[in-house]
This record gives sequence, C-alpha cells and structure tokens, in this order.
Amino acid sequence: MRLLALSGVTLLASLAFAGPLPQAVGIPGKPAQDQCTACHQALDEPRLQQPALQAAEDIHHRQGITCAGCHGGDPTSEDPEVAMDPKKGFVGKIPPQKVPEVCGSCHSDAAFMLRYAPNIPTDQLAQYKTSKHGLALAKGDGRVATCASCHGAHGVLPPSDARSPVYPSRIVETCARCHGDAALMKQYGIAGTEIEEYKQSVHYQALTVKNDLSAPTCNDCHGSHGATPPGVSSVSNVCGTCHLTQREAFDLSPHKDAFAAMEQPACEACHSNHKVLPPQDQWIGVGEGQVCGSCHAAGDKGAEVAQALFQALTGTVERMERVRQRVEQAERRGMLMDEAAVKLEEAHQALVLARNEVHTVNPQRVGAKTDEAQAVLAKAEKDAEAAEAELRFRHNGLKVSLVVILLAVVALGLKIREIERRS
Amino acid sequence: MKLTEKLWQALDERYDLKPLLDFAREKAVPRHRHDWMYYFGGLTLFFFCVQVATGILLLLYYRPTAEAAFESVQFIMTRVPFGWLIRSIHSWSANLMIASAFIHMFTVYFAGAYVKPRELTWWTGAALLLLALGFGFSGYLLPWNELAFFATRVGTDMVSKVPFIGHWLLRVLRGGEDVTGATLTRFFGIHVAVLPMISTFLILLHLAFIQRQGMHEPAEEPKLPPRPFFPNFVLREFMVWLVGLALLAALAAFFPWELGKKADPFAPAPAGIKPEWYFLFMFETLKLLPAKVLGIEGEILGLAAFSAGGLFWFLAPVWDKKRARGEKSVFALLVGWGVVLYIASFTALSYLGVFQ
Repeated sequence: MRLLALSGVTLLASLAFAGPLPQAVGIPGKPAQDQCTACHQALDEPRLQQPALQAAEDIHHRQGITCAGCHGGDPTSEDPEVAMDPKKGFVGKIPPQKVPEVCGSCHSDAAFMLRYAPNIPTDQLAQYKTSKHGLALAKGDGRVATCASCHGAHGVLPPSDARSPVYPSRIVETCARCHGDAALMKQYGIAGTEIEEYKQSVHYQALTVKNDLSAPTCNDCHGSHGATPPGVSSVSNVCGTCHLTQREAFDLSPHKDAFAAMEQPACEACHSNHKVLPPQDQWIGVGEGQVCGSCHAAGDKGAEVAQALFQALTGTVERMERVRQRVEQAERRGMLMDEAAVKLEEAHQALVLARNEVHTVNPQRVGAKTDEAQAVLAKAEKDAEAAEAELRFRHNGLKVSLVVILLAVVALGLKIREIERRS
Repeated sequence: MKLTEKLWQALDERYDLKPLLDFAREKAVPRHRHDWMYYFGGLTLFFFCVQVATGILLLLYYRPTAEAAFESVQFIMTRVPFGWLIRSIHSWSANLMIASAFIHMFTVYFAGAYVKPRELTWWTGAALLLLALGFGFSGYLLPWNELAFFATRVGTDMVSKVPFIGHWLLRVLRGGEDVTGATLTRFFGIHVAVLPMISTFLILLHLAFIQRQGMHEPAEEPKLPPRPFFPNFVLREFMVWLVGLALLAALAAFFPWELGKKADPFAPAPAGIKPEWYFLFMFETLKLLPAKVLGIEGEILGLAAFSAGGLFWFLAPVWDKKRARGEKSVFALLVGWGVVLYIASFTALSYLGVFQ
C-alpha cells in the first residue's frame, strides 16, 4: 500500500491538476481525516484558518476528499515542511485561471464521479469553455467567474442545500456580485441593470414570494456552466421551454414571420427580457403605454385586431367580477355557492385560455374562448340570482312572522288589560 | 259532563290535584313601581328553553370532530331545510340569554333581593350565570371556525395561569397541549351533556326556592295590592316571552349568524381576535395590564383580581348586613354601580376600538 501511495505521489508531482490525488481521496461517504485541517484550524491568521473551519461542511471533505485533493501535498504528515512539499505535489493557492481545470479533473471524469453520484453530469468543464466566462478566461481575463466564484472555494455545499450560493432562490444574488456592479459590467458592454430589472419580474416574485423553486432565475435562461446570453433568434426557444402553449399560439400568428423578417426577438418585444412584469389585458392596444403601438398605429388592421382582443377580454373580466361579487355576497349571507364557485373557476380557466390565444392575434380564436367563459358565467349568474331569491324569501318570511308575533303581543296586552279591568 | 271535566275529575281522583289548582288560584306576585324586573328571570328561562329545543335539532346533524364540524354546520346552514334559521336562532338566543341573565342579576342585586332568607337563590343564580358563560365558551368553538379556534386558544391559555395546577388544568380542558380535535370533542361533551345536566338541576332548585319563598318585595317600595299569578302574571310573562321571540326573529332575519372560515391550526392567528362580548371586559382588562407587576405576571394578577371580585360579588348576602336589616346600603349601591359602569364601559370601548 505504502509503495502504491509513494508511486502515486511521484506521479502527481509531475502531473499537477491532471487528476484526483490518490492520497487525497478516502472512502466515499466517510468524512476525510487529514493533518491539513487539524493544523490550519489552530492557526491565528484568519485567511489560513477559515478554509479549515469550513471543511466540516464541505461536500468534498464529507465525501472523504481532503484538502490535498485540490492543493496537493501530503495530508498525512504533521510536519508542514513535508505536508506542503512541492515535490509531493503541493501547489498552494490555485490561481483563477487554473480553477476550472482543477475542478474538472474530477468533475469531468465520469468513471470517478460515478463513485459519488451516478447521475451527476460531467460536462460542466466542456460547457464552461463555451460560456462567456470561459471564453474570456481562455483569453487570460482573470476577473471572470470560475467554478469557485459561484460555488465557493471552501465549504462547498451541494446546490440542493438552501445555504448554497447556487440554490435557486440565491442564484440571483450570486450573479449580482458581479452583474450588479454597473461599473464592472460597463467594461464588458453590459448595462448592469439586469439584476434590478429581474427583481421586478413575475419570475422573481414566484421564486421568492411563492417560494416556487421551479420559477426561472438567471441560469434557467442563460445556462449554468455554459452561461451566455440567448441570441435574438433563440429567445422564444428559451421562453418556450416553460411557456409551451404561448409559444405554440405565437407560432400560429402572423407575428412569427414578421418578427423573424425584422430580426426582432419574439417574446421580449412585448414582455421585455429581465423585467417580465405580470401581463395585463390593458397592454393590448395602440394607445400610450400599450405594446401593440410599438409597430401598429390607430386605424390600421393591427389596431382593429388589438381593439377586438381587448374588448373580448375586458368584457369577460368585468362580467366575471360582477358575478363573483354576487356569488361571494350570497355565500357570506349563508348560502351554499359551491356550484357557482366551480362555474366561476371554469370561466376563469376559459379566460386563461383566451389570454393564451392572444398570442395568435386571431380574434376568432380568442372570441371562442371568451364566449365559453361568458356562457359559464351566465350559469353562475343564475345560481347567484336563485340564492338571492331564496334569501329574499327567508327575509320576507321572517318579517311576516315578526308581524304575527307583534300582533299576538298587542292582542295579549289588550287581553291582560281587559282581565285586569274586570278584576 | 264535558270531556275535559271528566278528564279533570279522573286525574283529580287519582292525584289529588285540587289543592294545586287552589294554590295556583291564590298565588300572587307583589306589585310595585319596579315589578318589571320580575320578568327577566322568566325571559332567561325562555331563552334557555329555546336553546334546548334548537340545540337538540342541531344535534341531529352536527358532527363533533375537527374534520367534520365546520362542514356539518355548513351543511346545516345550507342544505338542511330551515337549518339556517335554527342555527341563527341558537346563536342569537345564546347571546340574548346571557344578556337577560346579566340584567336579571343586576336587578336582583340593586333590589337587595339576595339578603336573608334568599341567599341560596342568589348563589344558585350566580352559579347558573357561570354555567351560562360556560355554555357560551364551549359552544363558541363548536363550529370550528377561525375566530372560534383562536379565541379558544387564548381563552384556554388563561387557565394555565392558575398557580400549581394551571398546566394540568389546561391539558384537561384542551385534551392535550394545544387546541385540537380532542378539545372540540371535550367542549362538545361539556356543552351538550355536562352543562345542561347541572343547569337543569340548578334551574329547578332556583325555581323551587322562589316558589317556596315567593318574590322578594323591596322594603322601600309603596305597597300595592298584589297581582294574581294566574292568569295576570302568567299572561304578562308570556307577553314578554313573545317580545323575546320577536327580537330573536328580527335578529335572525336581519343579522343571520355567519359561519366564517374553517379553522386552520397551522395558519397564523388572524388580527383582531376577540372573545364573545360577555368576556370582552375581562379580555381587555388583562390586555391592559403590564407584563409584570411587582415581579408577578400581570395576567396572573388580573385573573386573581377577577376571581377575588367574583367571590366578593357572590358573597354579597354575607357581607351586606345593612340590607339584611332592611336599611339602605350606600356601599352595596356603590359596588353595584361600579361593577355595572366598569363592565358596560369596557365592553363599549372595546367595540369602539379604543383598546386597539
């Protein structure tokens, strides 16, 4: 065993960063035991002490991989001279340019990674090399993000850990460390306002308010390791990954070819890219602040279609609100309105589909769905009317009984007076 | 001979009913300027009877489990013919019964009717009022709605302040550490079995004492010829009951009792949790007290003060010697008006939102 270890060390000394160090790899699932953390924890200088303190939480350390896995050296020796001997592969602090290769030495090795997680992807390094970050790094720009910039260097946590900087709800803050710095971004021709815009979006709201971890954050549209801005032609593909029905509807619209001819991004034209606000029916039209007005003007065919779509939707919304109020009022007054509530939900579903059909900009298709909603609303309205009639009947009945009781009181009073007068 | 006369004769032969009839004919009720107050005890009894009748009808459909309670009340109010009316009347009648009982108690107090020989009537009456409050507190939870759930959590929490046995009492009352389905089942049992049984017994005792001793007549009132119990007083009492019924019908018609939202034990307590109006004065007082007074928890001190005050009120026949001698007692009057003003003002101010 010792002979094997020694030959391994010699080999690694010549092949720095080429692969995992045998001495540095323990039993998967069993936390690593090494002298590096023991000595460094006792150091006074925080810069040298911190990595050792973070080791206990580190995913690598917990899987038996010691500090030597990345930094080389002899993790078994108590003598610093021996432990950090360059002859034993010790490389000390890893420069940013080398970080992807060091991480990739294990993470790109499918056979090695299989020991820890059979389903873990091993193409991160290949993807990184195609990313804006990777391309800039290859040109020698040491300021761009590498693996450690997002995942951390020490105390690396799995992305499923809510404390990890790459946990879905924390990614935006991680990206913001660089992309929120307008001065830095200016040097790369990036506005630097993307983070603030994204934070106003429905996506960020879903992620942080509803805690919906499936809501898109930076990496869902730009890619994680292969991070790059989607080109004009692929924006609709990116949005269409989640918004399938909207994309299918858009593909049926005359806008598809027109936008392609103008080399305009599809979804982004109306919804913006980062600042994706909750869509409003009021956006449809050529008036001030309405999205169709970017290309169409009052009086043209597009403006007419927009007006038809707007009326179909808002007419349905107004009626739905009226019916909902009546149903809720009847419910508050003690009537069972479950069936009407189901109908209101049905109408709402039809309205959602109508809003989806807006992407076809076809008034017939939108009208078919709003007609469906209106038909169900008419039934719900009948339920509300029936409930109101029942309530009126109850009130009137009780008023009548009240009158009868009061008449009986008066009659009794007269009787008592008569009795008392007689006696 | 008429059929009714025959029937009467047959019953009289067997049960010797004539003395009872003679007693009813001769029975009279004192008449004076304040004799209106005699009707409130009867009115309270009327509302109690309404509670029993409507309560039995509600029992046909009500299911006392956390899973089904809310839905069963909803079913009663929406699907059962006239279920909405029965439930609304049950809720309103409960409130009117307590209001009527309070008025009855204060009129008895101010008339000084609790002094010897009517001490036991006063004490059984006071116990009945406490039972009525128990009915209100236990019944409030039964629809298992949001407000009731959290109000019960706050209400039962007060029990834990009792020194030494507080925590044990809390567990007994709640059937566990928190308000759960076990609490609902307990409260249901208390509401429909334990309290009605004790109340019925005490009501009979209370009525027997009044029957045996007759109505109290205030000494200072000018004497008028008494009013025959039957039919004059009975008809008048019946008229008051009809007015009570009219009030119930009006309230049920114009302010139907709402069902609220189903209780969700995991949801945060909604803002503005308040108990029923008859507990408001205590609730607001306890809220006003500082957290610590001389090193003792404010709430404990408050509850101790309420207990002492209640006991003092209960023992009025013992400490009020002046009235027992037929003299006026300024102290007793001051105590009475102090209590009335305190309860009325705190309840009114709470409704006006002054304490928020």
